[in-house]
Amino acid sequence: MENLVQEAIQNVNLHAVMPSLILSVAGMALLLVAVFSPRGKTAHIAWLSIASLIVAGIVTIMGWNDTQYGFAGSVQLDNFAAFFSMICIIAAGLAILMSDEYLKRENFPVGEYYPLILITTAGAMWMVSGTDLITIFLGLEVLSVSLYILAGFFRDQVRCNEAGLKYFFLGAFSTGFLLYGMALLYGVSGTTKVYDIAAYIQANPDTTTNVMFVAGGLLMLTGFFFKIAAAPFHMWTPDVYQGAPTPITAFMSAGPKAAAFAALIRVTFICLEGMQDHLTTVFWVLAVLTMTVGNLIALNQKDLKRMLAYSSIAHAGYAMVGLVAWNEIGSAGILFYMLVYTFMNMGAFAILILIGRSGEENLTLDGVTGLGYKKPMLGIAFSIFLFALMGLPPTAGFTGKFYIFAGAINSGYIWLAVLGVLNSAVSLYYYLRIMIFMYFKEPQEDYAWVKIYPATAVSIVISVIGVLYLGIVPGSIMQLARMAGF
Amino acid sequence: MLDLYLPIIVVIGIAFAFAIGSVVFSRLVGVKRYSELKMSPYECGVPPIGNANERFSVKFYLVAVAFIVFDVEVAFLYPWAIMFKQLGWYGAITMGIFIFVLVIGFIYDWKKGALEWE
Amino acid sequence: MADNLLSIMTFFPLVGMIALLFIPRDNDAMLKSFALAVSLITFLISLPLAFDNVFKTSGGMHYREFYEWIHVGEFFQMNYNVGVDGISLWLVMLTTFIMPIAILSTWNAVKKNTKGFMAMLLLLQTGMLGAFISLDLFLFYIFWELMLIPMYFLIGIWGGSNRIYAAVKFFIYTAVGSLLMLVGIIFVYYYAIQSGSPVNGFGIQEFYQLDIPYGAQFWLFLAFGFSFAIKVPMFPLHTWLPDAHTEAPTAGSVILAAVLLKMGTYGYVRFAMPLFPEALQTFIPFLAFLSVVGIIYGSLVAMMQDDVKKLVAYSSVAHLGFVMLGLFALNMQGMAGGMIQMINHGISTGALFLIVGFLYERRHTRQISEFGGLAGKMPIFATIFLIITFSSIGLPGTNGFVGEFLALMGAFESDLRWYAVFATTGVILAAVYMLWVYQRIMFGKVTNPANENIKDLSAREIVIMAPLLLFVFWIGIYPNTFFDKMNPALEQLLQQINNQQVAIVEVVQPVVANVVDTK
Repeated sequence: MENLVQEAIQNVNLHAVMPSLILSVAGMALLLVAVFSPRGKTAHIAWLSIASLIVAGIVTIMGWNDTQYGFAGSVQLDNFAAFFSMICIIAAGLAILMSDEYLKRENFPVGEYYPLILITTAGAMWMVSGTDLITIFLGLEVLSVSLYILAGFFRDQVRCNEAGLKYFFLGAFSTGFLLYGMALLYGVSGTTKVYDIAAYIQANPDTTTNVMFVAGGLLMLTGFFFKIAAAPFHMWTPDVYQGAPTPITAFMSAGPKAAAFAALIRVTFICLEGMQDHLTTVFWVLAVLTMTVGNLIALNQKDLKRMLAYSSIAHAGYAMVGLVAWNEIGSAGILFYMLVYTFMNMGAFAILILIGRSGEENLTLDGVTGLGYKKPMLGIAFSIFLFALMGLPPTAGFTGKFYIFAGAINSGYIWLAVLGVLNSAVSLYYYLRIMIFMYFKEPQEDYAWVKIYPATAVSIVISVIGVLYLGIVPGSIMQLARMAGF
Repeated sequence: MLDLYLPIIVVIGIAFAFAIGSVVFSRLVGVKRYSELKMSPYECGVPPIGNANERFSVKFYLVAVAFIVFDVEVAFLYPWAIMFKQLGWYGAITMGIFIFVLVIGFIYDWKKGALEWE
Repeated sequence: MADNLLSIMTFFPLVGMIALLFIPRDNDAMLKSFALAVSLITFLISLPLAFDNVFKTSGGMHYREFYEWIHVGEFFQMNYNVGVDGISLWLVMLTTFIMPIAILSTWNAVKKNTKGFMAMLLLLQTGMLGAFISLDLFLFYIFWELMLIPMYFLIGIWGGSNRIYAAVKFFIYTAVGSLLMLVGIIFVYYYAIQSGSPVNGFGIQEFYQLDIPYGAQFWLFLAFGFSFAIKVPMFPLHTWLPDAHTEAPTAGSVILAAVLLKMGTYGYVRFAMPLFPEALQTFIPFLAFLSVVGIIYGSLVAMMQDDVKKLVAYSSVAHLGFVMLGLFALNMQGMAGGMIQMINHGISTGALFLIVGFLYERRHTRQISEFGGLAGKMPIFATIFLIITFSSIGLPGTNGFVGEFLALMGAFESDLRWYAVFATTGVILAAVYMLWVYQRIMFGKVTNPANENIKDLSAREIVIMAPLLLFVFWIGIYPNTFFDKMNPALEQLLQQINNQQVAIVEVVQPVVANVVDTK
């Protein structure tokens, strides 16, 4: 007994959770700051949150190439986790930058917002560094519960309430799948640690045909598919994305989705390796389905937030192509793509924040008519993001897709790549349509209500720089993704 | 083997005896003054008859949630208590941090006014 | 200077564009002059290429520049790898030459948002030059797609009444093709890696040495060829072209006709044909057939147009049919004819679009029936129009004759004899539709009172046309200036295509089966 305790104590290794620990502590501290601040004053909380994110980011970067194992193998802060953690940190930082003025405009400046984002990020980091099903689940829950609140944050807006409630129900539902799957895997292998499960399968190869194991794996994957919004588990996405506060929509589509991808990759590539043959088929079908459904439905959307929601489904489909590839290029490609997607998608949402009015009912295609002439800088930035979402060079959208499709082609999935690029061609239409309204039509209004909020503008500038940098000289970051991939 | 359970059986017996005994005893010796309020079925503080679509005061939930949070989390103290000696100072400090986190939640609740009924 | 000549030339317009953004948007004159100056300087920078005699003796790549760009371990590597040979030389020159003309032509035509217009033109120029000089497939693809964005805006913002439809159609057609090519590019790369051949990033010179099995070549040629065929455009993928041409502003049409369409034919010469020579053999009859259909169909449809600009657009389809037919002849005459016809088409069709632009600026209509009897009112214009018409028809002494004659001769001497016979009717049809339209616009009496006071060409407009006329006659009378520098490169290309066809006889590698077996 004495030994076990000592061993457990030695196994802790706080280094392995240092970045998320920083965020958790900062989250709690800022919660107190928020509650002691006068009503309506939130700017200092936002800046403190960004400061803590920067600290967490620096700690994460310092841990590069220095894998830390903690909590008896439940947590593994390796390059893979560090890369995804950075994605989540960047997503959270951009979301916070674009939030403060937005909250004031929507007349809901409530300080708890920022600590919740920090705690969401911490949860995402546990998820990406978890090597134990329980850790992954714990991270997922921390992430989800905070997001449920954030999605329904404007409690006096019906849309927003609907978003929060739907997200909560579907999230709880999907967690059920996930947990059931994990339980079955535990039942078969007698352990919840992913590497031990892999070792168990190595030792008992016939496990992969065991009904309980297969069912467990598939149920667990279903839970993840809900989280990454892969078709046909995407139903919640449009309503939630449309109703949630715009910065939260942007954040959800980047950070938490990346974290879900990370956990999905880790669990699949390690635990379920024995099922590769079958799983690639599953992924193949789902990837094609996801991008096709996302793109086709997006074609017909008038509401910009909803259109971007469907486009986000389609982009999850592209990223899944990397899963099908099941090789180093593919997994590194997902890492790179999620980073790219963070910049281009959050940038686009930041633009929506600026051009929206309180209540946001004008965020339709008609609402951007002639915007490019009245607000030229916004128009250029929006165009850059749209070109990136289309996947055109010299933006990061292209290099990201290239990375992913290179993985697929390297593994021989030519037709999947063909379907992928054809889907990109379909997506051209609805992205171009925004630009048609922005540039090819005469302005109807003078957009007097559009104020360029400084912090939001900073987030847009950062996103533009990210999109162009990763599009023109992506070599170094691609190299990092290679080192981080599986 | 079975004698291990003997104390438990004894405790159960005492518990039952006490429960039944106190009910019976109060029935026998207690003073009975009936009023309308006392005779109505107990329904968590909600009037038993009325519109089904009645709105509940959010305060009930705040209290309930606060109770559940603190109650459930305090339950974590039991395993620590069992291992108290083995864990030593390490455990004491860890649990101190744990309690501190709870205290933060408590302060938050308090400051937010969740503990005030009015 | 000479070390980085190509890069300086390519990126100078981009730098100019960025500088242009700092000029106040209401200072139209300054914006125009600045853009013109940038394009003229670019032309001057490129001029040493045209006078360099190294192209006469060696068909290889010159002015090479090589920098490592994206290196991701064993995953993939891309380099900034550029150079010119006799094939791309004249296309590069054409681009830098046409650009100042295009900018000058918009002097009065573009009223709104001059800044954006000029910026887009300059960005377009960087894209076009970059695509011509790229020796790395990945780099080529970047520039290839880069051209799309400015062209989309040029058509969509400054185009005619139906511009949105035309812009979207142009964009989606071209993008679909190039996306499929992207899959092909990645496939070629991994094929090269997995078969253990030496590669240098996505460098095409190394890819030329690959022995790609026929099965893969077939699909790859289809992917590349489809993309390029859309850009050429070949019948039946040409439908975006009349729309885009008709709706684009004059400068846009000029550049589209003069340079962008050459991207397709250049793509065949540089990439699709030498990379997949075996598949090329399979496709030649089919492609030659489509070329001939394009020639005849384009001519017939052009004949029936009542919009001058549409007429010119359809004549492009026909002219590029000659180019393709010449290239597919796979002999020196045909190749040289096809190549020179690319330049010719750039000059004469570019000039035709300018002429249409002149008419449109004066009358704001392009309906042929609105005109008539202009010859008496505008003598200078009539002369220039006539010369360009002859050039477009291919009258001996003008550039058009040299190109079409060589292309047809080459085709006649190759397996494509019967195709050439049918294609020749295109020459006659060209005479029909061009002379007819000339007659309807220029001759007869002035029937429409609106034409009574029409003005002849201004000095600016004559300056625009003069260099084009110079080249109409230069190529028409002494084409050897151009052939001398083109031929070594073409010989090398032909050798490359033929060698490969011999070399691939029976190469079966185990890895081949792996790669070809697509899942």
